[in-house]
Amino acid sequence: MAHHHSESDDEDYSYDDDSESEQEEEEEEEPRSSRKKRGRSNPDHSVGSARGKKRKPSGSIFIEDDVIVDDDEVEDEDDVEDGFIEHGEADLGDEDVVGRRHRPFHEPAAFRSRVGAEEYLDFMQEKYSNPRAEYDDEDDYEDGEPTHVDQQALLPSVRDPKLWMVKCAIGREREVAVCLMQKAVDRGSDFKIRSVIALDHLQNFIYIEADMEAHVKEAIKGMRNIFANHKILLVPIREMADVLSVKSKTVELARDTWVRMKLGIYKGDLAQVVDVDDVRRRVTVKLIPRIDLQLLADKQEGSVIVKKKSFVPPPRFMNVDEARELHIRVERRRDRMTGDYFENIGGLLFKDGFLYKKVSTKSISTQNVTPTFDELERFKKSNENGEIDFVDMSTLFANRKKGHFMKGDEVIVVKGDLKNMKGWVEKVDEENVLIRSEMKGLNNPLAVNERELCKYFEPGNHVKVVSGTHKEATGMVVKVDQHVLFILTDTTKQHIRVFADHVVKSAEVTNGVTKMGEYELHDLVLLSNLSFGVIIKLDSEAIQVLKGIPGRTELAIVKHGEIKYKIDKRINVKDRNKNVITVKDVVRVTEGPSKGKQGPVMHIYKGVLFLHDRHNVEHAGFVCVKCSSCVLSGGSYSGADRIVDSFSRLGNSKSPAPVPPSPRRFQRADSGYNSGAGGRHWSGRGGGRGGHDLLVGAYVKVRLGPFKGYRGRIVEVKEKTVRLEHEAKIVTGKLNLPLHTHLVAAC
Amino acid sequence: MFFHMVLERNMQLHPRSFGLNLRENLVSKLIKDVEGSCSGRHGFVVAITGIESVGKGLVPDGTSSSALVTFPVKYQCLLFRPFRGEILEAFVTLVNRMGFFAEAGPVQIFVSKLLIPDSMEFQAGDMPNYTTSDGSVKIQKECEVRLKIIGTRVDATEIFCVGTINDDFLAVINDPALAA
Repeated sequence: MAHHHSESDDEDYSYDDDSESEQEEEEEEEPRSSRKKRGRSNPDHSVGSARGKKRKPSGSIFIEDDVIVDDDEVEDEDDVEDGFIEHGEADLGDEDVVGRRHRPFHEPAAFRSRVGAEEYLDFMQEKYSNPRAEYDDEDDYEDGEPTHVDQQALLPSVRDPKLWMVKCAIGREREVAVCLMQKAVDRGSDFKIRSVIALDHLQNFIYIEADMEAHVKEAIKGMRNIFANHKILLVPIREMADVLSVKSKTVELARDTWVRMKLGIYKGDLAQVVDVDDVRRRVTVKLIPRIDLQLLADKQEGSVIVKKKSFVPPPRFMNVDEARELHIRVERRRDRMTGDYFENIGGLLFKDGFLYKKVSTKSISTQNVTPTFDELERFKKSNENGEIDFVDMSTLFANRKKGHFMKGDEVIVVKGDLKNMKGWVEKVDEENVLIRSEMKGLNNPLAVNERELCKYFEPGNHVKVVSGTHKEATGMVVKVDQHVLFILTDTTKQHIRVFADHVVKSAEVTNGVTKMGEYELHDLVLLSNLSFGVIIKLDSEAIQVLKGIPGRTELAIVKHGEIKYKIDKRINVKDRNKNVITVKDVVRVTEGPSKGKQGPVMHIYKGVLFLHDRHNVEHAGFVCVKCSSCVLSGGSYSGADRIVDSFSRLGNSKSPAPVPPSPRRFQRADSGYNSGAGGRHWSGRGGGRGGHDLLVGAYVKVRLGPFKGYRGRIVEVKEKTVRLEHEAKIVTGKLNLPLHTHLVAAC
Repeated sequence: MFFHMVLERNMQLHPRSFGLNLRENLVSKLIKDVEGSCSGRHGFVVAITGIESVGKGLVPDGTSSSALVTFPVKYQCLLFRPFRGEILEAFVTLVNRMGFFAEAGPVQIFVSKLLIPDSMEFQAGDMPNYTTSDGSVKIQKECEVRLKIIGTRVDATEIFCVGTINDDFLAVINDPALAA
């Protein structure tokens, strides 16, 4: 059906004659074309376009046929080539169709007059009967884009209407375009110009497509916003295509979108779009006002000369009564467009405490606007019934990075017909997410638009935050409030609020940020002002330190640089009953504000103990006490396995420089100690032998000295020596060895 | 919830304790080790109710005679494990701004402020408590409350729960302060 045209016209042309001229034209056209090409190899393109345009005098009407003919040529070539042979037939039809579709009525009048009514009708018939249907059904293009050949065919020629550049008032380009359109509709056939183009990025000018300058002049006659006295410029043919080149996609501004102001005193402030005026490229936004009422009042009285504001007033809701008190004139005005009542104070419109401002699209930023919770809350507060709801939240997420859904996530539909349906993510596409739901009777998997989905969590789920201010925190979901989750962190037992987006289900239990530079959580550090404390919270910005002042809890928030170094000394102190305390011993506080608290000692420094009370919620459980106000209680914290503990002590002894605690302890054997120690070191191995029980029965290996390498069980422990039952000898030998430096844990 | 299960454990015993009292030593060691401990899978071991069987002791190869001999022991024990959705009675141990801690036996449950009905407000002071506006219901230390567990977090050796009293029939059962 499509072919018959080409066939009939084939006779008219002889390719050889035209090839030369075509080639010339082809060269001109090549650089202009910026369209995407189909997946054909280049030689084909050049060949195809070489046959490009047959510029016969009668050719303009039949330009489509050129295209068809070209394709024939190209087809021939393709038959020779590999891989394209199959696509041959189908492509032909497609291109043909495309050619027809894309070919606008460049000169319908001329065409019609030339061809005659009947033929014209036939032409129309073919053009619009089948192909469109076919076109829509098939997946026509290989990659969905017109060929280079097509595009070349569509470029403007000398026969086509020209583009004229006309100067107009700044900011009014769109308005002018619309007015001209209106005029065209009114005038009808009189109007000789074809189209008007107003570009966003080109200010002060519009393009008018017309055949002759006279047409343009007539069209713009009487238009207020066009400078008629200014010269009308003609756009060269080569540059015509560039006029309409496609830019990066623009963000659609919809109502209720969240944006940020770029300029003025409200720079950086969050705003909500209330109204969009595309024609004038202005939007009305809702802001929290930063108004200095005093200044306004003074200004109205005329007493104060308004000077440049050196400070920006804090954001605060506008209270009309306050304004009235200060004798500022408040007018109640009714906005024509929306029908709402506004309070007009000093030229600014207020409603419900918010400031409604008309700004140009350029002065707001729509990308990456992530409102923080506080900002959202403030907006919410004014609308008491929470008008800011789901819908707004989802527009928030519309601007979010795509692809935060992962396979296996549990999601819930929040918009549309399937609202409130739960499901699991199966696959994530560009725009759509495939989810599988439990409901019977639905196609599984179901494709849902990303914007309509939200991650779903239930209270009791254990989750981990992966982005945002609370990154790396883990905890349990306590409450779910649409998009917002309340999470109880594992470590600090605090409530944090996060967006459902930022969270994934996880079994991991971390302490959040545990290391910042060289300092770890729960380290004892020395601060710059010579005070010391334990790190209880690590942030990216600051570090929270519980100061080492017994008796009162003092928190210091310091920056990284303020910490001098980590204190890592092994010191012993004595408790109230003169028992020696070391790190990891369990003590109980007997006096002072922390009385009754009990826990293992984490750090000792300068007579101050830091113990970790599990039940204590504040300060990560750390309590700071003086050593004299606590007593040793119970066994060591290191757990049930005492052997490990003793080994760790012995292990400590490996380090040459510091004097290990255990031998010290033994050295200080006084009666008080013995009784205390006896109680403390009660172990299941049969106690009562003084504090050395722990070592007895321990299986050790000698590390230094003449007996190096020998293994044995400790039989008896004395002041400084240990008797080892050596395994190698059949007769139980006893080796008296100096303690500590020579023994090593053996498994 | 409480469970009564048979568990198995490999006990290591030193030959020193062999002899007449081998079994007793084994059992006492088992009790000492296991009772009061907690495993993520089974929960807290409340008590050992009986020994089902004691396997043959295995002397490990390649080490000296003073090595520890391994006995596989099967024992019956009472376990306690909290579950999500379970309703428990607990008594309050600590009240603060974020909520309150309550203990039900070995397990500690935290009830967050968000899960306390809005009618109850926190009141700081000597005895911080949550109380209704008319003062009729008070949650303070040593109170008994009935709560529902909404989530459990199981570490290797510890189970921590989060609960709520924001449902029907939950909250204070008995307030010793009032009763007195």
